[in-house]
Amino acid sequence: MTRMASYEEHEGKKDIAIIHYFRSDYIGFQMLKSIIAVTISFFALFGVYVFYNFEELMQEVYKMDLLDFGKSVMILYLCVVGAYGVVAYVVFACRYSRARKSLKHYYDNLKKLSGMHNK
Amino acid sequence: MTSLLVVKQYIKNFINKYEVYLKPVLKLILALTSLLMINSRVGYMHRLDNMSIVLIIALMCSFMPMNFIIFVAAAFVVFHFYALSLECAVVTLVLFLVMFLLYFRFSPKDTLVVLLLPICFVLKIPYAVPLAMGLLGTPASAVSVGCGVMVTYLINYIADSATALTAMETEEMTTRFRLVIDGLINNKEMLLTIAAFAVTIIIVYMIRRLSIDHAWTIAMITGAIANVMILLVGDLLFDTNVSIIGIFIGTIFSLLIVKILEFFVFHLDYSRVEKVQFEDDEYYYYVKAVPKITVATPSRTVKRINTPRKRSGGSHSKR
Repeated sequence: MTRMASYEEHEGKKDIAIIHYFRSDYIGFQMLKSIIAVTISFFALFGVYVFYNFEELMQEVYKMDLLDFGKSVMILYLCVVGAYGVVAYVVFACRYSRARKSLKHYYDNLKKLSGMHNK
Repeated sequence: MTSLLVVKQYIKNFINKYEVYLKPVLKLILALTSLLMINSRVGYMHRLDNMSIVLIIALMCSFMPMNFIIFVAAAFVVFHFYALSLECAVVTLVLFLVMFLLYFRFSPKDTLVVLLLPICFVLKIPYAVPLAMGLLGTPASAVSVGCGVMVTYLINYIADSATALTAMETEEMTTRFRLVIDGLINNKEMLLTIAAFAVTIIIVYMIRRLSIDHAWTIAMITGAIANVMILLVGDLLFDTNVSIIGIFIGTIFSLLIVKILEFFVFHLDYSRVEKVQFEDDEYYYYVKAVPKITVATPSRTVKRINTPRKRSGGSHSKR
């Protein structure tokens, strides 16, 4: 009973919040947040890269093929988003199934407890 | 040993009883320590380097979630660096942003490591963190420890090259920016420490999960030896100029700390191991049960010999 109360107080709250969503909705929402996070991080790092190589880029800006450069940056961005997306998908899918299992266990115990009270 | 176990039980009971008050106090101490350390190392913004402001913010942190302390500490570092030079602030901000957005979304509990590691570096016992994380965490903790090492080395590097950065005020912004980035990327000692800590965490985690007697002790000693070996071999290969005596003394103290941690978290009696086998409809079980060592705290009973006399109802008698 103490364990159940502790679960309800701590992990249970998070698990209930997760289980309120359908699996696809939860993972989709988390993936969207992940893509936004990775986009911000990528462009922040890209900004640092550009500023670091600012002089070289400024010297070569007229010589280089900007379209090609943009294309390679976009490919790199998509690769990063894809790799991070796969990791995020695995993590959040595991988290959803774990939350579901823990809540199922909790509800089973609740049923047992209420059965004991009714006796 | 029994008296130590009794003390442990007393401490546990005390924590259980006063947890509501102890948590904010511990958060206050942690916030105060980290902010004061930041101010003493990189206190470039004089407005923030003020005891009253630190106290107010630390008090605020004591009533907020643990991760708020990390945000406040990160903000302090960025503001101090902004006062030194914009480039340092931008690099640090990007580092924190990437860390918080990409990694700490997955494991928000691990953020504490980023705060504890710089403090442990100042106390010269950074090796306690990978050993403890290997024992209490998962291999994924290697990423958080790596982030903590990176933040520590960035702060140290900028604090050490503050004079050079101030002297370069006349130079172009990109030159100073390059100096900061180069200092971070080309820091071999930092890369070596990250690698050593990551390997230590993985080794400690793998050994402590094994079903062998004294798994935690073996794990921490093996992890500590592996850590020292990697740092020493790395010093030979990359000439990182690390203090060998410092590594040995730091490792010994770290081992002591982790041993104390084990005493509180995982104290088992291996002399009473029981091995049982049983089956149900679907599985056959080979179970090894190791009992935990626990003692009951001696309870004081106060026996009253003289029962307190009840005062006779004076007001009634007066009537």
